[in-house]
Amino acid sequence: MFGSRSGTAAARAGHAACSGCSLCLLVCPTWRSTHDPRMTPEGRAKALQHGATAEDLRASVESCTLCGACEPVCPEQIDLVGMTLDLRARLADAEAVAASQERMKARTPIPPVSALRLVLAGPALTAKADALGKIARLLDARACADDGADIAHALQSGTPIPPGRLEGFLSGLRNAKTLYVEDGFWMRHLRAWLPKLRMVGLGEALSLLATVRGALRKTDLYVIDTRAYHVDYERLVGHYDRLRAERACSFNLDLQRIAIPTATQSAWILKGRSVERIVVERQEDGEAFLQHGGYPVVHVAELADH
Amino acid sequence: MNALTPALEIPSVEPGTLGACPVAPDALQGIKRQQTNPSRWRGGNWQAFAGELQGLGVELSESIAARGAYATDAGGTAYGLPHGVVVARSAQQVSNLLKAAQAHRVPVTVRGGGLTTEGESVAFGGVLLDMTGMSKVLAIDAAGLTVRTQAGIFWHSLAEELRRENLDYLSAPLNLTSSVGGTLGVGGIDVNSARLGCSADQAVALQVVTPTGEIVECSDTHNAELFERVILGYGQFGVITEATLKVRPYTPLRMHYYYYSSLRTAIEDLQLLDRNDASDYSGILTILDCAVNLLVAFDSVEREAAFRARWESRLRGHGEFGFGLRMLGRYALRPWKLGEALFLLGRKRELFPELRRPEYMRDGVMLDRTVVFSRAVWKFWGGRQMVIPDLATSADKFADAVERGNAVCRKYFPHYTLYCVGIRLRPDHREHYEMSCIPPDAEEWAYGCEFEPMTNGRAYSRDHLQSFKNAIYDIGVDIGASYYRFGGMMKGYIRRVFGDTLVERHLAMKRKADPAMILNRDVIF
Repeated sequence: MFGSRSGTAAARAGHAACSGCSLCLLVCPTWRSTHDPRMTPEGRAKALQHGATAEDLRASVESCTLCGACEPVCPEQIDLVGMTLDLRARLADAEAVAASQERMKARTPIPPVSALRLVLAGPALTAKADALGKIARLLDARACADDGADIAHALQSGTPIPPGRLEGFLSGLRNAKTLYVEDGFWMRHLRAWLPKLRMVGLGEALSLLATVRGALRKTDLYVIDTRAYHVDYERLVGHYDRLRAERACSFNLDLQRIAIPTATQSAWILKGRSVERIVVERQEDGEAFLQHGGYPVVHVAELADH
Repeated sequence: MNALTPALEIPSVEPGTLGACPVAPDALQGIKRQQTNPSRWRGGNWQAFAGELQGLGVELSESIAARGAYATDAGGTAYGLPHGVVVARSAQQVSNLLKAAQAHRVPVTVRGGGLTTEGESVAFGGVLLDMTGMSKVLAIDAAGLTVRTQAGIFWHSLAEELRRENLDYLSAPLNLTSSVGGTLGVGGIDVNSARLGCSADQAVALQVVTPTGEIVECSDTHNAELFERVILGYGQFGVITEATLKVRPYTPLRMHYYYYSSLRTAIEDLQLLDRNDASDYSGILTILDCAVNLLVAFDSVEREAAFRARWESRLRGHGEFGFGLRMLGRYALRPWKLGEALFLLGRKRELFPELRRPEYMRDGVMLDRTVVFSRAVWKFWGGRQMVIPDLATSADKFADAVERGNAVCRKYFPHYTLYCVGIRLRPDHREHYEMSCIPPDAEEWAYGCEFEPMTNGRAYSRDHLQSFKNAIYDIGVDIGASYYRFGGMMKGYIRRVFGDTLVERHLAMKRKADPAMILNRDVIF
């Protein structure tokens, strides 16, 4: 069974449960850019139900952005991201595995930072040490010394992670009580590995700060990190709805209240909206909007300066 | 084979000609059937056809990954595999496909959202043409209140685009993933259809690729005969590639729910509201026949106030609290029905919060009714197997039809739902309605009821489900009704309800339009 997540509090169904409702197509960024039903979670699930192999689905599996928008809309509660990751693991060839292992071996061991609250940033934010330091101060936390970028890459590409490397990374998190995670993709894995650690999306944590909320304007487009949002959808849909009610800004949400990913859809997010400023939770999302020009783009942490 | 039993001979009959029905006695026993395609298409000419498509630049996918994705429809009881799949990209590509299919006599089955329940969008060989590849909105005329869109688009994707202009479509099925083209071909009902008509009546103009590959623009005034046949034509007379539809300004909804314990009373009140244009939205949704919910909603404060002043007091339904008290009394006196009471209570606990999710409401007003209702439909009624027989009648026959259908549901399933709505008819579209879901004797309004078992994960045999459907459809034959889902596995009823003369006339038109009988050949005829 591909994608059947069991043994956790959030046990979900596998690909066999897909009834072909196509609700996942409505929110899939790959569907929106290709209009090819084979390149969608439903296309993969239905093909698997009727005899396709992972190799048959290679192009489809590789096209997925892992934004997770498909999961909250699935009425059968299928672990659609898990299904795609399982398929990627089947497809990982020897060359990809070797390259991944080499990347991990080449990493210099980093002494862990000891703190009760840690920030796990993505590559773009990690590269901006000042911005990351400021965020850590706002949250009374410290940035993780080991950003686990090689592990994140392995998880997304389906290549194995040597137990020693994984243990080294996790040991840096074990003493913390709260982890602020910039890329929500981490959450599905870290919750399984460190079930006692409290994990909060970085965007959610910053948007709870009074100074940040107070600086949001009606004419702002607030861009939610799609991965963090979808993995905690039932809780966060309420969080952002309350933020909308309080500040009247607009969000990158569709009519189903699913977050529209920015990578290929920033133009669609902006279409028909009256926006004066774009506020992003993820550094990478800001870069996607810069190509449209004309809009100042700020990270949500920068609102604390206003 | 027993020597005394003659072998079942399947006669060799050319597509497009009539032969004896070779289907062995089955669940439709006793029903006179004639098929234009008496045997499954076995792949003759496929290689030559595939080669021609390649030469024409039409991408044809023959892998199991591509074909397997279309093995069944939303009904999940009809299974079949196409020889190959074409994802629609343009009218010209569809035209090239159909011309080659005519020349090589290869069946083409067209699929939009795949939400048929009787196998109408399942290909039993030949080509599966997936229209969802044509999903772009082409132009929105906000002043003229129309939209031009490719016809493979899902209604919800269209709604997303329209909302950015503060517009909305008129009416569409409450499931998010019906396609525009597929809906225009069969009808499409919404909780505002009693006022705005069926979805098919929203179409102002269409671009159609005929079964012989001509690309034709049609409307009520231009190529009107083709327009007449394609609208509500169950895909027999062409592939809709583009559509111009009426749209309207977007409005959030003011919802009211009234609860009844009598189906007939609720239906009478529904028809009272419809006759008097007392609401903007109206429909009945039940849990069994015990909790009958009349839904009434409004686009504006003024309409809501007018309803409250003039009509609300005439409704015989109760509010949620009052109805709850009545139910408490009812089941206190009937302790042997405790199981039913617990089921109703459990259903209420699960379903009601879904209909009131705060992110879709603002200040007591529902922002996105299609999202709210459609998500609930998929969550509570969706599944790998969906059987939804229906009856469509004139207004005066409707209560009888629903009561008789309800008795059938009671006999076959422990739990089920009924969904009833009115459909305002357009007098100028009477020709469109011939041999469609609109019953011939309906005047001003037709009424439709879907009978939907809630299987709760329990597996039922195909025979059980088929017998249930037959029992519902027999009511239609008896009282002179029509059906929304009369194609595919239920096509045996077409001649029973419409009569041979009418069906033969349509078949003659089909033969003329589609000489090799390639387009959606197993759906109606």
